[in-house]
Amino acid sequence: MNNDENKDMSHRQHAKYFMRFLNILPSTLSSHDTTRVTIAYFSVCGLDVLGSISSISLDLSSRIIEWIYSLQVHPNEENGDMSICGFQGSSTVNIPLDPANNHYRCGHLAMTYTGLCMLLTLGDDLSRINRKALVEGVKVLQREEGNFSATLSGCESDMRFVYCAACVSYILDDWSGFNIEKATDYIIKSISYDYGIAQCPELESHGGTTYCALATLALSDQLDKLSQEQVEGLKRWLVFRQVDGFQGRPNKPVDTCYSFWVGASLKILDTLHMTNYGSNRRYVIDTQDVVVGGFSKWPDTSTDPMHTYLGLAGLSLIGENGLLEIVPTLNITRRAYEHLKTLHKRWSDEC
Amino acid sequence: MSDSGENDAAWTLYKDRPEWRDLKPVPENDGPSPVVVIAHSEKFEDVYNYFRAVLQSNEKSERALQLTKDAVELNPANYTVWQYRRDLLQALGTDLRTELDYVEAVIKHSPKNYQVWHHRRVLVEWLQDPSLELELTGDALLQDPKNYHAWQHRQWVMKTFGLFDKELEFVDNLITEDVRNNSAWNQRYFVMNNHLGWSDLNVQREICYTLEKIKFVKNNESSWNYLRGVCFHDKRGINGNAVVTSFCEELYKNKCRSPYLLAFIIDMCDEAIKKGETNTFHNADRAILLCHDLATKYDKIRSKYWNYVCDKFKKIQKAQNETDNHENNIDN
Repeated sequence: MNNDENKDMSHRQHAKYFMRFLNILPSTLSSHDTTRVTIAYFSVCGLDVLGSISSISLDLSSRIIEWIYSLQVHPNEENGDMSICGFQGSSTVNIPLDPANNHYRCGHLAMTYTGLCMLLTLGDDLSRINRKALVEGVKVLQREEGNFSATLSGCESDMRFVYCAACVSYILDDWSGFNIEKATDYIIKSISYDYGIAQCPELESHGGTTYCALATLALSDQLDKLSQEQVEGLKRWLVFRQVDGFQGRPNKPVDTCYSFWVGASLKILDTLHMTNYGSNRRYVIDTQDVVVGGFSKWPDTSTDPMHTYLGLAGLSLIGENGLLEIVPTLNITRRAYEHLKTLHKRWSDEC
Repeated sequence: MSDSGENDAAWTLYKDRPEWRDLKPVPENDGPSPVVVIAHSEKFEDVYNYFRAVLQSNEKSERALQLTKDAVELNPANYTVWQYRRDLLQALGTDLRTELDYVEAVIKHSPKNYQVWHHRRVLVEWLQDPSLELELTGDALLQDPKNYHAWQHRQWVMKTFGLFDKELEFVDNLITEDVRNNSAWNQRYFVMNNHLGWSDLNVQREICYTLEKIKFVKNNESSWNYLRGVCFHDKRGINGNAVVTSFCEELYKNKCRSPYLLAFIIDMCDEAIKKGETNTFHNADRAILLCHDLATKYDKIRSKYWNYVCDKFKKIQKAQNETDNHENNIDN
């Protein structure tokens, strides 16, 4: 692809954008209060994709690491119960509670997943992670049908959390909390008549949930459980999501984030190269704010950290100049992934 | 719903309320090195200071119930508050009908919030009463016919309580309104699959319904996908139903070059080859021609994909030619 023909990406502005989010956010974002870890994930991992991880000073990096560890929920001191273990998304209810009320202070799968990704990206060695406890925390969240809830305390269960559970299991190199057979069964049952994959069986297929399902199958080494017909059907459904950028469902508007969700799904199936990179790139680039940085879902609308991260991740998948390579399954850079691999080796040597 | 505390002149902070004087607020402890700090309003901080206090003292009271309402209004995504509210409802024996009214109002305000819909689902489970759910989800779908949360709740209610009777009519209205509404087509499949079943008659009826819709708007992925989905239930497959094959050939003859039509014919060719039932219309040569047309004229954005599909048919064609040559040699 010849980048010179097109508008450029506002690299510096995006790095500044993420740095601002790492610092302080306006009260209009109060509804993100319980998911601050994900905002930090988009910012830290976004800076990494930009090749700007060094913008995070050593001091800031250690502050972020300390903060994430402060959100790790440890086993119950009295009875050793690990069902609440994981990461919280913020300190909103990070308070001491009576044993009877302890379940309110519990981990959340999406926060555990993004928290771990951030630690890896910042080069932490995960030595302060209670791996066994986190795995037990994953285990209690799997439902009979094979899907996962996000938390112990009153929460829906669907494909998003199957993916988060798979990522946590993969990162900790321990699948004993994840029943692969049941999860695979749930995924196969969620394949729709149009071959896309839905949030749960029989719902409408969706680009985001198709990503969660395919990445889970790839991480748990189960892609071969898809029939040839299902694989070809998925390829067709996914490539048909391209309009210029990508849409998440048939006949829905294009949205920057699907350049990642659908792009990474195609990458997992080794089919991304069959899409049109130029159109995809032009759309995503059109959704950036060149003045203050950030990407939005549509051109000329308001930016947010999620679309900014996913826009960059989507561009990385198609080889944008100046961006680090993304590992499509875990959604971290190859650099952070290689660090994880050295940890895996260390852990297996210790055994 | 974002924090509107700043403009709320008539609001009395919890710390200034006499009836809350007995409880000591618990501030958030974000540790010595917080990042991504949200500059909450004073109202937000105050409400959550008292929520933490209530949670810590495990207070189960009417005033705590009211407090959770204020807390979710400031952040409807706080699942802990919702869970505590449910525990309060049970502990206090609150009338769950009024709670249904309340959640309905919250859903109208935040129709794409996971926690609110989950709360609704738990209430319906407790009450074992789904009588308001079709109307509630119907209203939400009137606002946004593709609201994924509303469809998910609707499907759950229908499956759990067997409420399929009028759904086909509901779906038909949505499809008539917008023939490109993919969610509605998916729901049609859901009703057929769970309720009406795929008898030969129903398959034929659904095919006719879909063909009518395609005649109306030809370049519509949703209806073509549904057609393929229905044909899976036809014993004759997607290439064996004369109504479907002649419909497609008629469109093609009339110069329709919608990528969905051409893709469908390619799939028919594929199936015919696999079943060993190739004919004038459905064979490798035709598929190759169609892939080529899609790649170069009618669906250029996916040209690499169509070339990939084309290559698979070329391999089949080559193998076929070799077999033919071999047989000719034997005959000679």
